[in-house]
Amino acid sequence: MAISAGQIVFYYLAAAGIASAILAVTRRNPVHSVLWVLSLFLHVAGLFLLAGAEFLAAVQIIVYAGAILVVYVFFLMLVDLPKEEAGPRFGAHWPLCLMVGLGFAAIALWVRVPGLQTAAPAPAAAPNTGSVESFGSALFKQFVLPFEILSLVLLAAIVGAVVVGRRRTEA
Amino acid sequence: MNGVPLSWYLILSAILFALGAAGFMIRKNMITVFMCIELMLNAVNLSFVAFSRHFKTIDGQIFTFFVMVVAAAEAAVGLAIILTVFRNRSTLQVDDIDSLRL
Repeated sequence: MAISAGQIVFYYLAAAGIASAILAVTRRNPVHSVLWVLSLFLHVAGLFLLAGAEFLAAVQIIVYAGAILVVYVFFLMLVDLPKEEAGPRFGAHWPLCLMVGLGFAAIALWVRVPGLQTAAPAPAAAPNTGSVESFGSALFKQFVLPFEILSLVLLAAIVGAVVVGRRRTEA
Repeated sequence: MNGVPLSWYLILSAILFALGAAGFMIRKNMITVFMCIELMLNAVNLSFVAFSRHFKTIDGQIFTFFVMVVAAAEAAVGLAIILTVFRNRSTLQVDDIDSLRL
């Protein structure tokens, strides 16, 4: 069976993504962990591209890699890193937890429903699922109510972050 | 379809999710624990996008978009809480933090 270019790209992105995830979970220094998570996010963005979700790949890079990780890096500047690094990296029961995690992966591989392979229905009018146009029209027609509710979620998050994070003034 | 079957995406997504879950449980540093949540969310996003492509509908991508927004909100609020805990206790080791108040 000939291996297509898409499969080679997938193999690279998957291997690099898994390696990044392992390194992100195991590095002692939180800054290194953040950088490996950044690498993982970029590879996942590549996988989104491969799966034909161009808009989400861009959002992944802008929001996840660009905004969320920057928040983490800023936060790391506020804490006492050398002291954190000196502490234990893993809990005492880490082999058990690792077993649970790997057990989850094993179950997920075991139950990958074989019927799904053939279950793809032929849609009547196959939309170009990658285009921003189809994404936007679905977002603002079919999903407009959840979209509006999202603005409330963001508002609550902004207010909550400010309220929780502000320094208490002496009353 | 560029030749990548759905099951490959799902297997990769399961592995990434398991790594995130294992990291969430084994790490002692609160920030890294928090980052493992992002890792799990990303793994789930990947399977959403893969299903979206497989079934040729846009719904999975919309869901991924919503997950991203919620992840951003969660990062902002969660890090604010962690910052407050750090101010009060000057540590981020989860074993030393057994309650939110002093």
